[in-house]
Amino acid sequence: MAKRTRRESTKPQVRSVYHEWIHIADQVIAEKEAEPRPDNWQQLALEWCTSNEAERSALASYIATYHKKLGVEWARDMLRLEVFLQANHQCAIVTHYKRALRAYPRCALIEAWVVGHILRHDGEIWQAREMCLNAAAELPTLAAPFYELGFIHYLLGDFAGALEHFNQAAMRVTAEEAEQAARIFYNRAIMQLALTNDTQAAIAAITEALHYKPDYAQAKEALHALKHTWRWFQW
Amino acid sequence: MVDNPPVLQLQTHWLPTRASIERLMLMKIEFWLNQPNQNKRSISEIVWATGDIRQALAELSPIVPLKVRRQIERLLQPWPQGRYTPAYHRSGGILNLFTPQWGEHQDEVWNKMLAEWHAQTFPDDQARYAARAELEQRWNNTPHPFFAGLTPAQVMVGGGKQEAKLADEFLNYLQKYYSKTEFESEGDMLINTLMVLRSWQLQPLSNGKTPQQIILAERTELLNRRARILAERA
Repeated sequence: MAKRTRRESTKPQVRSVYHEWIHIADQVIAEKEAEPRPDNWQQLALEWCTSNEAERSALASYIATYHKKLGVEWARDMLRLEVFLQANHQCAIVTHYKRALRAYPRCALIEAWVVGHILRHDGEIWQAREMCLNAAAELPTLAAPFYELGFIHYLLGDFAGALEHFNQAAMRVTAEEAEQAARIFYNRAIMQLALTNDTQAAIAAITEALHYKPDYAQAKEALHALKHTWRWFQW
Repeated sequence: MVDNPPVLQLQTHWLPTRASIERLMLMKIEFWLNQPNQNKRSISEIVWATGDIRQALAELSPIVPLKVRRQIERLLQPWPQGRYTPAYHRSGGILNLFTPQWGEHQDEVWNKMLAEWHAQTFPDDQARYAARAELEQRWNNTPHPFFAGLTPAQVMVGGGKQEAKLADEFLNYLQKYYSKTEFESEGDMLINTLMVLRSWQLQPLSNGKTPQQIILAERTELLNRRARILAERA
């Protein structure tokens, strides 16, 4: 009788991968001499995590409210999150959020940063929608939660709802957020086209998207298609 | 020798989530119940005309598994007089095949309607109940954002012959799409599948109509037929 080989569990492997990511993030943090200490953790978190004034104010308010529950470890976890976000390492962002940051008091701003990754990596549409609604209510001046809500409603097949949220995002996005503005205006154009079939309006909206990001390949392709022969193009 | 032996068709589909596999089974049963039988009435129509589910079940081939029989029995139950809550447990057809499961507690549309009803004042209980009944009918016939724009009534009635054909075409296309695409995670696969579906449903076909328009028109026609048959029965 053949001896059955023991199947190895995948759990320790997953754990070690996460720890490897953390190790790399800590190296990046050390290289930049950004070690959180009791005297600088708040300042470091604010300086590292956002350059946007509205976001910085929201994060400062969160720290002020929960400073007793936060601290050096929280700041270190925030810096690690920032390293993962900069690297656009979706799996690391989602894993780190779930394993580390979710243990702290709920923060609408952090949720606004990670929700797109949770949606695209985990496919958790309803959880992502709830996080976006919370972020939109808590931080009504930010465009990002409304943009994600628009995308979620598009995925649900609710095109009118998607357009409504893209309109909200378009009203809030600033010129400094050019990349996001381009995506918002492009997606709004696609929804307008789907709902009204108004080619001229779509051309105007896509031109606006290209104003923010002249090398936006999808927008260029869509504009070309609309100006020549009408055909559908992917999101 | 056997006349008209049952034909067993085997189909393979690749789907992004386990939930969508379950829903695919339900969707196929819904399509089948609305298929006219040799130019005669469909099973759904027979039940609407007679009100007799047992007769429809008796006509099923013996090879139909018990689990499927139970699903059919559930789908053929008379619709509620008030709100069509069984819609939460129907497939919603190809347009809803990949939407992750949601239920009554998440139904913001109904919860908002209900909150408005609670906030209103009525002269008496009769007026209050009448308003509630009217509200339930409004919900039944209003396009729902979480049902991909179908009304709960359109979800209840199920898809017909044209939607069945479109669904098969889309699922075959999806298989080809999957064979040439790599995904980073199950979530990535689900989101990309939904994006492909939403693009597809808006793409005009050779007749100038989009799959979404065809599906909505067919479900509306099935609802009209149901209304006619129920009126004849009454």
